[in-house]
Amino acid sequence: MPTISIFRKDFSQLVGQPASISDIEQWMPLVKGEVKDTSSDTGEVRVELQDTNRPDLWCVEGIARQIRSVLTGGLSPYSFFSSRGRAKRRIQVGQGMETVRPYVAACASLEYPMTQEGLEQCIQTQEKLADAFGRKRETVSIGLYRLSSIAFPVTYGLVKPDEVRFTPLGFEEKMTPHEVLTVHPKGLEYGGILSGCERLPLLWDSNGQVLSFPPIINSRELGEVQIGDTDLLVEVTGTDLAMVILALNIFASNLADRGAMIEPIDIMYPYETALGKTVKTPHDMGNAQRVSLHAIEQALGMSLGAEAIHTALASYGYQVKATRQSVSVKLPPFRNDLMHVMDVAEDVAITRGYDSFSPIMPQTFTVGALSEQEQISDRLRDLMVGFGFQEIFSNILASRQELVERMRLTDTHHESLVEVDNVMSQTYACLRPSILPCLLRVEALSPRVFYPHLLFEIGEVARVDLEAGVGSRTVLSLAAISAHPGANFSEMHSYLDLLMYYMVWPYDLEPVSHPSFLDGRVGHISCQGQMVGYIGEFHPEVLEAWQIDMPTSGFEFEITTPKT
Amino acid sequence: MNSPNQTDSLHPLEIQVLRTLGMATTEEFLRDPELVQSTGLAPSQVSMAVGWLLTKQLVNLVSETTTTYVALTEVGTKFQQAVSPPEWIIQTVQAGAQKGQSRTVKDLQAIGQFQPTELSRAIGLLKKEGVLSLGAGGSLENTGEKSTTVEALRSLLNQIHEGSRPLDSFSDNHQALLRQYAVKRGNTQEPFRIDDHTERAYSLTPEGRNLLPNLREDAAQEISQLTPELLKDGSWRKNSFRKYSIHLRPPRLAVGRRHAYREFLDTVKTKLTSMGFQEMRGELVETEFWDMDALFMPQFHPARAIHDVYFVKHPSHAKHIPEPFLSQVAEVHKNGGTTGSKGWQYSYDPERAKRLVLRSQGTAVSARTLATNPPIPSKFFSIARCFRYDQVDATHATDFFQVEGIVLGSDINFRTLLGLLKLFATEMAQAKDIRFFPAYFPFTEPSVELHVRHPKLGWMELGGAGLFRSEVTVPLGVTVPVIAWGLGLDRMAMVALGIQDIRDLFTSDLEAVRNMRRQM
Repeated sequence: MPTISIFRKDFSQLVGQPASISDIEQWMPLVKGEVKDTSSDTGEVRVELQDTNRPDLWCVEGIARQIRSVLTGGLSPYSFFSSRGRAKRRIQVGQGMETVRPYVAACASLEYPMTQEGLEQCIQTQEKLADAFGRKRETVSIGLYRLSSIAFPVTYGLVKPDEVRFTPLGFEEKMTPHEVLTVHPKGLEYGGILSGCERLPLLWDSNGQVLSFPPIINSRELGEVQIGDTDLLVEVTGTDLAMVILALNIFASNLADRGAMIEPIDIMYPYETALGKTVKTPHDMGNAQRVSLHAIEQALGMSLGAEAIHTALASYGYQVKATRQSVSVKLPPFRNDLMHVMDVAEDVAITRGYDSFSPIMPQTFTVGALSEQEQISDRLRDLMVGFGFQEIFSNILASRQELVERMRLTDTHHESLVEVDNVMSQTYACLRPSILPCLLRVEALSPRVFYPHLLFEIGEVARVDLEAGVGSRTVLSLAAISAHPGANFSEMHSYLDLLMYYMVWPYDLEPVSHPSFLDGRVGHISCQGQMVGYIGEFHPEVLEAWQIDMPTSGFEFEITTPKT
Repeated sequence: MNSPNQTDSLHPLEIQVLRTLGMATTEEFLRDPELVQSTGLAPSQVSMAVGWLLTKQLVNLVSETTTTYVALTEVGTKFQQAVSPPEWIIQTVQAGAQKGQSRTVKDLQAIGQFQPTELSRAIGLLKKEGVLSLGAGGSLENTGEKSTTVEALRSLLNQIHEGSRPLDSFSDNHQALLRQYAVKRGNTQEPFRIDDHTERAYSLTPEGRNLLPNLREDAAQEISQLTPELLKDGSWRKNSFRKYSIHLRPPRLAVGRRHAYREFLDTVKTKLTSMGFQEMRGELVETEFWDMDALFMPQFHPARAIHDVYFVKHPSHAKHIPEPFLSQVAEVHKNGGTTGSKGWQYSYDPERAKRLVLRSQGTAVSARTLATNPPIPSKFFSIARCFRYDQVDATHATDFFQVEGIVLGSDINFRTLLGLLKLFATEMAQAKDIRFFPAYFPFTEPSVELHVRHPKLGWMELGGAGLFRSEVTVPLGVTVPVIAWGLGLDRMAMVALGIQDIRDLFTSDLEAVRNMRRQM
């Protein structure tokens, strides 16, 4: 979810009417936006945009365009998408680009003298598109240049890493692409995209001047746009043709909204693309689609009729032709998010306003119920509370040290531990296989709290099980501890015995050996022949490891749904 | 106020202390050792009674002085009565020399009178002071010098043996020495113990003094606790019952209680079942398939990256994904399958679908339920523990609960979705004013955000919902429309429990757990 800065004056100009903060807030539902912050000094408004499929809305021009469209009942199409014939300027794509970064799209933007605000917004849009939409420049990256210094045709081709030198933005001296990758901060940040490439992508003009080293950095000579520049070259490169063209379409529409005249550029490929060998960009890739009026009405739960749906879609920016049963819709060229008729239905609802749909209260009868596990767990909780135990509620992620080492367990027990691969903090590195460590953590942190400490928790634990569908099993478990000067096995045994009596779960205790407990004071709990848990007095080394100075005993068993 | 009632409720111990203080003439105050002596009570009884009298404002705390005392430990008594390690070493080496036998450190250790650590420290001290020197073959030799430290320690042992003494009654040098040889954390085998002791002096308040004439003589005969014996032999009739001061704070109890946050979630599940929802449960570990693919999140979706989801180390992948769901979901991602959608238009990786993650959204549980051929109509909910790769802070938890669910029915549409949310607003947040906003979720269209005016919290976001995309339902075998909803209740829970930090919902501090209670 990108968050962007817009400025009220700039925004008002683009919408075509003065916009107060409350106007902006009121219009936000049209773009699935939310005002996060405003500053009355600078007129800055921070807006968060929710829709990850509408990159055209991640900029002030796009937000303003969508709102302007609804306010005025529709948009007039941008003429540069329908330009015919040969373009004035060409970019020639070199051999071998198809294996490195196959696609490029570009246009010229004329007669718009760049303002401070315009430039800031251009840079913000460039960053947001390349970062969130272009997956950190991997699939899409964007460059802006001073058009007047460039001699066409421009070549988008491959060079050897040390074949050419240019001055990258942010540096004084000339470097080869290879040096940029090893020295320049952007090279270090984005160089991974080109790892494994023997030759590197470069844009240069017919005088041999370097425009940029995409997707890493622009050259300083041609790629440092300044306030007052009237003519620009906008270029997008990437690995996905549709995304590259969509990004350019968005950028071209934005500049056009600011008053620029957009001139398309012909891209000449030496290989086939989905749009042929010569592609004029910006390019309208949209197709008119027939969608059923009935499907829209059914989804929205309202018979709106062809006319109302036509009006709504047209004012939202669609090109629409409606008949009695179906409607033919086409998205504007800066959008490419129509997958299903429901996407159209939602745009109808947004244009008309969600509040214009009256809610229908649920009327269908269904039977409510808790799962069997939850019912059993609630009965156990009631009993434990009645026995005088305080319920504890813990995080399920814990550290290996807490779950294994402090419990005096050894490597043979590690196999059952579900561990996180991309650990962020060792404190939260494993799913707990047992709840007792969580209760001992409470005891360890609470030595000054009024005694006795009778604690229990019922919750989920997970253990590796290679036979299970997801490689581990999530099990409901009940653990309880007692910590006070007289805590011992027989006290916990009494609680366990009473619990099993009331649950009508006949159980057996077998003496065993378990590293966490004192020998001779620990037992296996089994229920109907199935091993379900342990009860015992904690080994003094376990208590020492937790720095607990109080005798502590406890039990834990799995809650298996009883077999009848 | 010296009402008769007040004297009636005085405990016999309080009466004794009051009397003793009342007799005091020397500047009208007494220290606690004097109180113990004159009352003849145990120190703990005196401090209990004084505590009560202070809260009743019958007694004043006049002064409080803390004195540091030094006393002998068991080890010190042993040294005083027998010999300290350096003394013993000097004696042993001397005795050996007289017999013409040299002693090495090993020899001394072998005798076993003192621990090796005690010996090496003492030898170090004696060598430093020039009392001992190391001869050929490691033999210890007496130089004839006197050890000032050993002599000082001996004198201190003898002085303190007679009883603990204030530390400041010794010279600075001796104080330093005492501290050096005093018991510390991690070393309990030292001859001296240094403790702070606070002495308090008390006097009667005017109210206390006024009570003196009214103090009962027979207080000791009063019954303080009714016993079975008193009842059996009827002897309770012969005595009166002491009256209690019922305004005192009662003693604390450690009781059994449900966790307050869990209690909050209990009411949520009760609400949901009463609205006809059936509980679903799932696994903590999920495949990417059920966690994301089945929810039509493309495999390149930014929220699926290494910095958003926890991946499982071992096993890293599930063995297989059940068919026909895998092929049907793969198709819908590639080209929309039979849903009328154009899909995401990329090459779906069935291996990636098997990657195991910690469940990142409760909707995974709903996806699994959709694939079980659920009855139509039906409603489901789950309160599912979810995990996000987030830096833990006051507003981000590493594992947390999501309350979410689905509603299936042929009558489902956008307006019934809004109706359900309206019901949630009244049932879950007692809110009458609600607003709907367009929202975005990868798996629903249209999508709605529900904002409500909570009676205490004002406008807040209560949840998100939408109609599941056909790209989600159809591949899982469901042909009727389905509402997917989720409620964000943690903020409400935090206000209800009076906590500001989300980490406190799962705190390990027992005091905090015991104190946590629902305030609304």
